[in-house]
Amino acid sequence: MKITKNIALSCKLLSAHKLRTALCISSMTIGVAAVIIMVSLGRGTQKRILDMIHDMGTNLIVVNAGHVTLLGGRATQVTIATSLKIADADAIKSQCTSVVDAAPENRSKMNVQWGSENLKTDIAGVTPAAFRIRNIEIQKGREFDSVQNDAGQRVAIVGKVIVDKIFHGEDPVGYQIRIGGSYFEVVGVMKAKGIDANGVDRDDRILIPLKTAMHRLMRVTYIQKIHIQVADSTQLKSAETEIRELLRERHRLGDKPDDFTIQNQATLIRAERDSSRAMTLLIASVATISLVVGGIGILAVMLTVGRERRKEIGLRRAVGARRRDIRTQFLLESLIIAGLGGFFGVFLGTLSSFLASKIVDLPVVQSWDAMGAGLTLSFIIGLIFGIYPASKAATLEPIEALRTE
Amino acid sequence: MIKIKDIEKTYSKNSVETKVLRGVTFSVQRGEYVAIMGASGSGKSTLMNIIGCLDRPTKGQYELDNINVLQLDDDAISALRNKKFGFVFQQFFLLERTNALDNVLLPLIYTDEYPADAIQQARKLLVNVGLGDRIEYFANELSGGQQQRVAIARSLINNPDVIIADEPTGNLDSESAAEIMKIFSRLHEERRTIIIVTHDRDVAGNAQRILELKDGQIKG
Ligand SMILES: Nc1ncnc2c1ncn2[C@@H]1O[C@H](COP(=O)(O)OP(=O)(O)OP(=O)(O)O)[C@@H](O)[C@H]1O
Ligand SMILES: [Mg+2]
Repeated sequence: MKITKNIALSCKLLSAHKLRTALCISSMTIGVAAVIIMVSLGRGTQKRILDMIHDMGTNLIVVNAGHVTLLGGRATQVTIATSLKIADADAIKSQCTSVVDAAPENRSKMNVQWGSENLKTDIAGVTPAAFRIRNIEIQKGREFDSVQNDAGQRVAIVGKVIVDKIFHGEDPVGYQIRIGGSYFEVVGVMKAKGIDANGVDRDDRILIPLKTAMHRLMRVTYIQKIHIQVADSTQLKSAETEIRELLRERHRLGDKPDDFTIQNQATLIRAERDSSRAMTLLIASVATISLVVGGIGILAVMLTVGRERRKEIGLRRAVGARRRDIRTQFLLESLIIAGLGGFFGVFLGTLSSFLASKIVDLPVVQSWDAMGAGLTLSFIIGLIFGIYPASKAATLEPIEALRTE
Repeated sequence: MIKIKDIEKTYSKNSVETKVLRGVTFSVQRGEYVAIMGASGSGKSTLMNIIGCLDRPTKGQYELDNINVLQLDDDAISALRNKKFGFVFQQFFLLERTNALDNVLLPLIYTDEYPADAIQQARKLLVNVGLGDRIEYFANELSGGQQQRVAIARSLINNPDVIIADEPTGNLDSESAAEIMKIFSRLHEERRTIIIVTHDRDVAGNAQRILELKDGQIKG
């Protein structure tokens, strides 16, 4: 019996029993889709961490005013403190031996206006040090310098979202925009960075000199954050201690608890990794369960089919089918089911992980090898769960099979 | 062509042994039309299954065209069933959800070479059993008599040496039964070897020779 005849026969049989076939295929589909989602999510998580490292800059320590915890990988301020000052940043830079540079920062959501266009965006007051420490590149125009910062000049560097939404894609350099109640001159455009791993659009942002932000817009004397670059990654721990001691002394804390939170890159990444690991684990177990369920589904159907089809097997044996022919037929059936299920599963998994990344903002990276893994897996499951019913069907004596009622 | 000698068959169920055949000996010549009769439970189906190589005897000798059948392995016996025998069963045994044509073609799937004109052959056989207008019908869309005629066409597609029919009219009314028997008589005229099991004296009357199975042995 030729293999092509065998395949044709199996297809015919499968299409003759549409409900049964559909049930099998859908259980396989769900399993494979789950695997694809899992792999994509794993990839996405990896990418989120790499993104984060790149986005933060390397060898970074962040000092936050007040108490800060990590929520879903994002630093979130829990208590507000007014004790952190620009002078603290300067002191850290000049007094801590392992520190290369320090960039104080204050940010706030504010309204931007140009002509009749209006947008609420993230206004970040930064010092020129931020450009290097935080990997901010200028695509058009220029950065502002410390003279402009000290003078409290009203200059702004805008992100791509602002260019698109407010200026409709026009080059905005030289234009005057209104932020809060003041006019600012656009002096530069940031290179587009896209959405970050936490779903924040890094281009929906305007940078202005920190002093301008504090005095003109936010009217505060304190800052929220200092990004600090350390010379070497081995010095992260010692720098942290140094910074803590310095700040405690400067804030005259005595035996009071810290009024700031220090995070270094390593702890940030670890926190991110932990939170995503829990998610990955959850999805991995769901995926495993659905795969096993899919496999058992096939097994159950093939076994009942075997029982239901004893007469058919008996008849086939009576008219000359060898054991091998029966076995091949059953195996082919489960492989076809697994193949189709795998195909649909790849489709469903890819689609739903894509949707997940768009809607629920899960970090998802599509990859060919995930699809390959899904397909391979479905064939392996098809084989494993197909072999038992196949050999069971094949061992049946023709006369036993024919006699079953 | 069929030589059966001292065939015994013992079934054991729940450690109770039932000796159904106790030394059956007979032979059938090529082209012969033989009927086997006997009371219910006398072992007619058991004997037929052994002749058709669907089952093996507990003891005895079986030669088919000078081949010692009982020494063959499973694959060789499968091939033998495929080439030498055509089966007609009391319960028809057609594939459900499969049309008459595909049912007739079934044995050809398991032959070494699939004839190029298989479909024409199958159609011709269906026409010959009077089902020219039912070729595309599914098994469940046919009457019992029609189903049995499909089964007969199927038993002929491989041009077998022996047709084995275990109560082919057992599930049919007398009219359909008469038609089936007419087909068998015609096959006999075409010099095919036919072995048929029946309860019905009239049906057996069509055969050249009637064997009586009683107490596990052939009488007469
Ligand atoms: N697989 C089996 N296991 C145990 N006993 C069996 C088996 N098959 C048949 N028998 C027994 O063998 C005896 C003969 O059965 P068989 O089917 O050959 O009878 P039969 O002559 O064809 O009867 P009928 O005319 O009713 O079809 C019966 O008593 C039956 O119970
Ligand atoms: Mg019987």
